[in-house]
Amino acid sequence: MEAFEPTIIAFVCNWCTYTAADLAGTARMVQSPRLRLVRMMCTGMVDPKYVIKALLSGADGVLISGCHPGDCHYINGNYKARRRVKLLNEILTGFGFDERRLKLTWVGASEGNEFAATVNRMVEDIRALGPSEAAAVQAL
Amino acid sequence: MANRIGVYVCHCGTNIAGKVDVAEVARFARGLRGVAVARDYKFMCSDPGQEMIIRDIRELGLNRVVVASCSPRLHEKTFQNACLRAGLNPFLFQMTCIREHCSWVTADGLEATDKAKHIVAAAVARVNYHEALYSRVEKVHPDVLVVGAGIAGMQVALDISRAGHNVHLVERGPSIGGHMAQFDKTFPTLDCAACISTPKMVAVSQEPRINLMTYAEVVDIKGFVGNYTATVRVKPRYVDMRRCTGCGLCMEKCPTKVPSEFEAGMGERRAIYRNSPQSVPNKPVIDAAHCRQLGGKKCGVCAKLCPSGAIDFEQKEQLVSMDVGTIVLATGFDVFDPTPLGQYGFGRYDNVLTGLQFERLNNAVGPTDGKIQMKNGEKPGSVGIIHCVGSRDTNHHPYCSRVCCMYALKYDHLIKDKLGHDTQVYNFYIDMRCFGKGYEEFYRRVQEEGVHFIRGRPAEVTDEDGHLVITCEDTLLGRIVRVPVDMVILCTAMTPRADAAEVARTFGISQGLDRFFLEEHPKLGPVSTATDGIFLAGTCQGPKDIPDAVAHASGAACQALSLAARGEVTISPTISHIDPDICSGCKSCIDLCAYSAIEFDERRRVAVVNEAMCKGCGSCAGHCPSGAAQIRHFSERSIFTELSGMLAGLPHPPAATVAMAHPIPAAETHGQTAQGA
Amino acid sequence: MPSVARLPVENGNPVRAMQELLRRLLAEDDIVGVFAPRQPPAKGAVMPSLITDPEALASVDPASPSFPVNAAQQVARLTRGDLDGKLIAVLRPCELRAFTELVKLNQGSLQNLIIVGADCHGAFDNDGFRAFMESNGGKPGIDNSADFLRRVSAGEFTAAANGGPALARACRACEHPAPEHADLTIGLFGQDTSRDVLLIPGTAQGEALVSRLGLATSGSGAGRDEALTRIRAERTAYRDAMFEETRAATATPAKLAEYLAACVGCYNCRAACPVCYCRECVFLTDVFAHEPWQYLGWARQKGALRMPTDTLFFHLTRMAHMSLSCVGCGQCSNACPNDIGVMELFRTVAARTQSAFDYEAGRNPDEKPPLTVFHQKEFAEVTGGHD
Repeated sequence: MEAFEPTIIAFVCNWCTYTAADLAGTARMVQSPRLRLVRMMCTGMVDPKYVIKALLSGADGVLISGCHPGDCHYINGNYKARRRVKLLNEILTGFGFDERRLKLTWVGASEGNEFAATVNRMVEDIRALGPSEAAAVQAL
Repeated sequence: MANRIGVYVCHCGTNIAGKVDVAEVARFARGLRGVAVARDYKFMCSDPGQEMIIRDIRELGLNRVVVASCSPRLHEKTFQNACLRAGLNPFLFQMTCIREHCSWVTADGLEATDKAKHIVAAAVARVNYHEALYSRVEKVHPDVLVVGAGIAGMQVALDISRAGHNVHLVERGPSIGGHMAQFDKTFPTLDCAACISTPKMVAVSQEPRINLMTYAEVVDIKGFVGNYTATVRVKPRYVDMRRCTGCGLCMEKCPTKVPSEFEAGMGERRAIYRNSPQSVPNKPVIDAAHCRQLGGKKCGVCAKLCPSGAIDFEQKEQLVSMDVGTIVLATGFDVFDPTPLGQYGFGRYDNVLTGLQFERLNNAVGPTDGKIQMKNGEKPGSVGIIHCVGSRDTNHHPYCSRVCCMYALKYDHLIKDKLGHDTQVYNFYIDMRCFGKGYEEFYRRVQEEGVHFIRGRPAEVTDEDGHLVITCEDTLLGRIVRVPVDMVILCTAMTPRADAAEVARTFGISQGLDRFFLEEHPKLGPVSTATDGIFLAGTCQGPKDIPDAVAHASGAACQALSLAARGEVTISPTISHIDPDICSGCKSCIDLCAYSAIEFDERRRVAVVNEAMCKGCGSCAGHCPSGAAQIRHFSERSIFTELSGMLAGLPHPPAATVAMAHPIPAAETHGQTAQGA
Repeated sequence: MPSVARLPVENGNPVRAMQELLRRLLAEDDIVGVFAPRQPPAKGAVMPSLITDPEALASVDPASPSFPVNAAQQVARLTRGDLDGKLIAVLRPCELRAFTELVKLNQGSLQNLIIVGADCHGAFDNDGFRAFMESNGGKPGIDNSADFLRRVSAGEFTAAANGGPALARACRACEHPAPEHADLTIGLFGQDTSRDVLLIPGTAQGEALVSRLGLATSGSGAGRDEALTRIRAERTAYRDAMFEETRAATATPAKLAEYLAACVGCYNCRAACPVCYCRECVFLTDVFAHEPWQYLGWARQKGALRMPTDTLFFHLTRMAHMSLSCVGCGQCSNACPNDIGVMELFRTVAARTQSAFDYEAGRNPDEKPPLTVFHQKEFAEVTGGHD
């Protein structure tokens, strides 16, 4: 059997993590290609539906990444995101989703190295967990 | 749906093409639904690259464009403008990054090509659901409202009025000047506060473009950036400002004496009073709470004495409203009341003073005519100065008040200077923070003047046989010291105004954890607030010394001016919209909006976005269960399709790409894996 | 301590006593109407009704074991604006708790409302109620309810023994049998309801009403607390077993899909849900009007695509939207045409989500729904301890 390579969707804030991803790129910090970015204006914009949709339609993991507490470009969107992720975690883990499949991190605009490390760590974690069962369910 | 999408894959020289097979990505894009043309090109951002896109839009009738190149943070605007030049709405365009997020960070070329395909597929899927959007332009009223006329507010008003704009300057107190008018000398230069602030006060009163309103408060703000309407309550002064000549006769015979706020309780004033002879306006005010006549008793002495008949007990409060384009808040700070720190004996011992009280004691026009003396009129032989009272204290205010170290040094010097070298001065400090221009030099000078510095936060001040004794652990020596002194000065914290929360509500701005008003960004937006068109100046944003407050104020003036001078403001269209046919009126979005940009329409029972105040952060859309609230350009449909595009299996996976073993292994295998998970 | 009054029961039927109470309340000056479950002319399940004519109270039946709809949304509708006076609403505990959630969401108001709650022995689902009526043999409507109170107090209907009707699972798993923060509570637990029932004021408004009615006060609800404790314990045990069973049945995504395999996407569960307050469910909006090629894309990706689509998505999203407000009334299960254990699933999830936010749906009208508030320092575990 071929080695499993996970697919991870990352909803990232334009002002911090997306910028950090740019920075990581400029600094040529090699990352796993298995994580793909969806640019949001703020983590506070990430509707729980987006996470559920991603997990049902093939993502093995979802990363949400925004500004550090106190640094949110929109004052407090990241705090709202944190509550929504908390809620989703409570729901999803009850159905056997490993909580490592949904991750919230704070990566500031200057933290290119932290972004690259986050990507590689998460890909590594999910690779170890194996494919998401939800992705294989033949229903949406 | 018959979209005609053009996809443009950039080589970026070898930056992308050196890793990603760009021709293969373009070939892949051609097979995607709705794609009419897909090309790869050496430098898409170059003129020929842009021209190619423009030509295709015109000749091939493209109605959507996707560019896959560098980060949109670099060239999104470039390509949006190219679309615009070709007559395509710039929001029908999607830029996606295959350089920073792909070619530059992926080790393997096949994997990078594969990732680029997913990224392009997502952008193509998404752009199908883009809508044409139009930026709105609103006029900005040229007048500016400045709230608070301390040194920061005065600076703002002067800067703006001198640039040719009208300023309404509203001051709550009876005269302008703020805390600075109460000080004697200023650190580190020791120039007299009055000498440098009085000319500013006079300039404010004489500037024809400044409408100065004292004894007045802003009670309501309506509108949005460029178009605010302020309502100001002008309290009755009971003195006709046009008739009064400021001669001061009225104040001499007033029978009522009360502790003076201006003297920080160190002296008294009458019921009809002004702060000092240098007050601006230099005309008295009657304190209705203490005036005998206004309290219903027989008096009216001031009215009898006034040679110009200016006393008017019939004056009523007035509400004045004004239109302004921008607002600067310069509402200042309060001095921490050290009473809760009972261990220092403030209020219990006569000769324990706050810093502000000492300023008045030391002031040439203060209650002692500038003589530093104890309550009994004698010179103190020794003075203890306790730093960080209420600051750097998790029980009160965790922050550093930033000015106390320096004014303590100023007191050190002034005491030595006025009382002679034999007067002992002891500083009890945690850390000396002398960071400003000339501050460290001043610290050294004061050290050389023989002032004592004891590192430690005193445990208590006690009265032992008529002497004050400060008990403190000297943390450098590691032992308890007990220092007898005649006078204790508490370097009390700068705190947010007691009514800061109410003011924040009135103006629709936020407070930080420390309850000072919250700036838009701690580093890059220190004078703007989250509410467009409302700016902060001086200590209402956080503790500052005079130079910092003035610099901050000039920054705020500049920000307000740039809006006022331009005369119009462009409002981004990528903001929230709440569909009134879907909204259930639960008001959750109103609670979640950090910008007070959502109002409730009571008649229709739906939430309505104020487009001028919305910043498009999506806090509402991220919550709204019915999807009534959506951010334009980030609609649920566009995100869902972007996800589909990103997660779709590639139609022709290159055989060599190991990574494409995904997506679908047999279901049984999954079952086993998940049980292990 | 509020003074507990006793409502005398004549002819052994407590429903009559409740009707009499409502008649007297309706006669009060500022009362414009009574909202209560009422028997239709042909005997059958009660339906909530807005009553202004005292005569019509003769068919009101707060003790009916039928529960075809959770009335919270209807009370919300009636209080979403001006009333010319006060409305008396007779609600089951779960209806009151759902209504409390709706008040927080600005769908209804506690103003102009006097809430009369009754101790709830539980109800049958629609099928169960028909079976009960057959088993009780052709009596007029409210006599059935009196019989029900007597039989359920004696311990009947708690399990489907001998093929007889059993109370709905939602009710058997409900640890909130007594109304919380009602103005007046009709106390049935531990009482000989053929003689009298308790009338317990829960608010100043309720207290004032009791004193205006001039009923004899008894000082205490003798026996009620003990009965309540016992019922709560039984139900909590049943609930916990139900949680365990549901957790096991939905322990993996594949099992969850299997659990929901019969879902036809009718959205009856959401229509029946008292706290699903959206005017239009997002799943009915054009966000979910997919293009044919999109279906094909998903099918290609998964090899096969079950249709209708978005059923798993719907249920998971509904958990995100309303599990924090779920009161466990069971109307979702009652409404499901294909007998999916929707209530069991949602209650199990709700127990997790509500406890995660230290929140309990319907507990307190002043509590903000957890997703409408936030704090700077909280839930550090979500980000691995970084905040």
